[in-house]
Formats: sequence, structure tokens, C-alpha cells
Amino acid sequence: MKENEDNIAIKVDHVYKSFNIYYDRANTLKERALFWMRNKRKEKREVLKDINLDIKKGETVALIGVNGSGKSTLLKLMTQIIFPNKGTIETKGKLTSLLELGAGFHPDFSGRENIYFNSSIFGLTRKEIDERLDKIIEFSELQDFIDNPVRTYSSGMYMRLAFSVAINVDADILLIDEILSVGDQHFQEKCFNKMRELKKEGKTMVFVTHSMDSVKNLCDRAVWLSNGVVRMDGNTDEVVDEYLKETM
Amino acid sequence: MNIFKKIYNYRELLKTNVKKEIRGRYKNSFLGILWSFLNPLLQLLVYSVIFGALLAGGDETYPIYICVALIPWTYFTTAISQAAFTVIGNSDIIKKVYFPREILPISVVTSGAVNFVISTIIILAFVIFSGVGLSWYIVLYPFILLIQYILLLGIGFIVSSVTVYFRDLEHIIGVVLMAAFYATPIVYNIQQLPHALQVLVNLNPMTHLINGYRDIFYYHQMPNMKMLLILLGISIVLTIVGYFIFKKLQKGFAEEL
Repeated sequence: MKENEDNIAIKVDHVYKSFNIYYDRANTLKERALFWMRNKRKEKREVLKDINLDIKKGETVALIGVNGSGKSTLLKLMTQIIFPNKGTIETKGKLTSLLELGAGFHPDFSGRENIYFNSSIFGLTRKEIDERLDKIIEFSELQDFIDNPVRTYSSGMYMRLAFSVAINVDADILLIDEILSVGDQHFQEKCFNKMRELKKEGKTMVFVTHSMDSVKNLCDRAVWLSNGVVRMDGNTDEVVDEYLKETM
Repeated sequence: MNIFKKIYNYRELLKTNVKKEIRGRYKNSFLGILWSFLNPLLQLLVYSVIFGALLAGGDETYPIYICVALIPWTYFTTAISQAAFTVIGNSDIIKKVYFPREILPISVVTSGAVNFVISTIIILAFVIFSGVGLSWYIVLYPFILLIQYILLLGIGFIVSSVTVYFRDLEHIIGVVLMAAFYATPIVYNIQQLPHALQVLVNLNPMTHLINGYRDIFYYHQMPNMKMLLILLGISIVLTIVGYFIFKKLQKGFAEEL
């Protein structure tokens, strides 16, 4: 068992996550004092129940399931944006999440400045960003617009820039949420190729997507989440077929 | 400690954040960065006229007396009120990307320090051109600033994380800072107060920092080092406690915001 531990990139161990749903939220002291009765009207919704998952280094895993099955929550937990109520999640290596592309883009700054700012959120140093700058601009195909303020970009250009930054961070683990629909056909193709390349380089990737074609195309393992538990885990084709049979 | 390594790894983010805060503060305003000089100067003018008439009794150097205290005080209040808002104000990226959340209060306190150092030019100009002059005690300026920085870091960690769960704090801080202005010997001399009030004012940590700045810039005498070292100790403890509070509370940020 011990020698296997080194090969694991993400270890999800007995993870529970629930959210409190308030009907009438008291945010201030006055409200809390006056309406303390009302505060009890909250509901606990268990989103994930006892999830156990070991993702090996270099594995490409798809999380599939219907809306509300907990896929995105699990991905957010892996990113450490939110934390489990019970259980632990350990990740090994530098991690990048492509959950919300372009988070932290500043509309008034130019594309170039935003590359710097966005990359620094991912934890790159100035030098590392300098080294990647050309690659990022080239990948985004925004050479002519890179010094214009980002607010002048179309939504497609915006996403292209954001994706190019995130994909060039050189992380060991990539968490990707439903973004395989970036840009036009040509750019999508390019993204796919880039992901295949990264896969070959031995990066660990976790996808959340509803596009079963891309799952079959890219992933060697699929995990089917249903109502917050792992329903099925294994070879992509088998899991996807079973999933489609159930939901169609 | 892990925290130092984390901050070091994300030093570029800290740098960009500090820059953005300094540059962004006066963005789109006609006079731009000039406001960081004009603001304290105009404030100084108002206080010198009002309190000068009330309290100074014809002392010509009274504006300098206030100036050396008012500028560090401005750093103190802006850092705290900005820290209280920084996590809420950055809720967009907190909900979407992982990065060490500690960066947020740290960059507020740091950008305030940079601004304060720039504003110190006003103090220097005042003491030089008014004839008060300079003294060697000025070399202690970085030391006093360091204590203030650590103190603000501790307060910043606490207010930035607690406000997320308890939004009233933002308003409470405004009132407390207003009261603290009068509980710090900025416009008056502590000797002018009755004894009972002196005790109270001496419990205020800012009193001793202001005294320190005033000693080196205005009175040209050795500050009360014993007091400052005690304050340094308290500030370090506060920062450690504040950091643990922050660390505990930050796990819920994305859900609370």
C-alpha cells in the first residue's frame, strides 16, 4: 500500500460536504438579535456523502452525472475554494483550476497586464510569467488586441485569453469544469490538442462535463456521481454507456 | 512555518495587489496621486485652525505638532477600514480561484505602508521649512513603522475575516476609529488631560506610536524604547493570534460571501 501512495495525485478520503440553506438570512447583529427565531429556519443539504477517490498521477478522469449530483462541488473541494465538513482531500503538486475562466480579470487593464495579473493569482512569479508571455499570447491568437483593454474584447476573445493563461501555468494537476466549449470550432480543436499534449506529458486532469463525446475522447477513467455518492467508477466506455442507458 | 513559504510563492500576486491598490485608489480622479498629499494637507489645515485656536495657545509650531501625528494616524485608520472591506470586496475571485487568502489583508497593510512612507515627505517638508529641523533620531523611523506595520497586520487579519461573518463590524470600526482619534494624543498634549483620562489614553497602543513619531520628528529626543519594545511584543502576539483566527475563518469565505 505504501509504495502506491507516491503515485497518487489527488486523494479524497471519506469526504462529506453539506451546505446550509437559509430561508431568511440574518446578516447583521440587529437582525440576529431581533429575528433569532427565524435563523433556525435553515436546512442542511448534503451534497457529497462519504466520497472516496484516489486519482493517480497522469490519469485523466471525468466526473459525470446529472445536474446537482455534486460534481462541481467535488471539484471546488479539490481546488480548496471550499472545505469538506468531514474527511480530507490531499493533492500533490502544483494545481490549477479552470473553473471560472477569467476570474480576476480587470476590464480596464490591457490583455497583457491581465496576463500578468491572472498568472500571479495562479502563483507564478514575474520571471515565470515573462517566460510564458509569448506562448500565452500566441496560443490565444490575440496578438493584435493584446494591448487593448479587456473590456473591449468579445466574450469569445475573453475566454480565449483566460484559457491560454490557465493552460500555460504548467501545473501538475488541472481541474477543468465545463469549459470545453471555449471559442469557435477552430479554437476548441486547439484546446483539445493542447489537452492531449498535456496528457502525454503526464499531467493529471480532472474534468467535469456533460459532453460525453469529449469524455470518451480524452479520459481513461470516468466517475459517475449520483446524489452525492459514487455510483460507478472505472473504464470510461463502460461507465459512460451505463450512464447513458440510465439517463436517456 | 508554512505561511511564509506560501506568501513567498505568491509574492508576485502580493506585488501586483499592492500596486493595484496604490494605483487604483486615485484612478480616474483629475489630480491623481496628488490627492495622497492634498488629503492630509487639507485635513491638517482644518485641524490646525480649529484645534490651534482651542488648544494651542499661540504656539506657532502647533501645525507641525499635529502633522507628525496625523499622518501616521491616517495610515492607521485607512489600513483598518480597508482591511475590513478587503475580503468582501474581493468576493468575486475568492469564490472562483484558490490563492492564499492571507495575501488580501497583507497587501492592504503593505500598500498603506508604502503610501505612508510617501506621505512622510510632508512631515519632512514641514519640519525642515518651519525651522523645527531634523535630528539623528530619525533613524528610528523604520523601527517605529515596523511596529505599526505588525500591529496593523494583526488587526487586519482579525477585522478582514470577522467582517465576512459579521457585517456590522465594518460600521462599528468606523465609530471606534472616530472615538480612537480623540483617545490618541494627536491634536492635544496628553498632559492637558485629567489623570483618569491619561491612564485611559495610555492604554491605547497608537498613543505610544504617535509619541514615538513625535519624539523623533518634533521633540528631537529619544523615544520611550521600553514602551515601544513592549508594544512590539504585543503586536507580534496579536498578529499570531489574528493569523490563527483568519486561518480558521477563511475556510468558510467562499460559502459565506
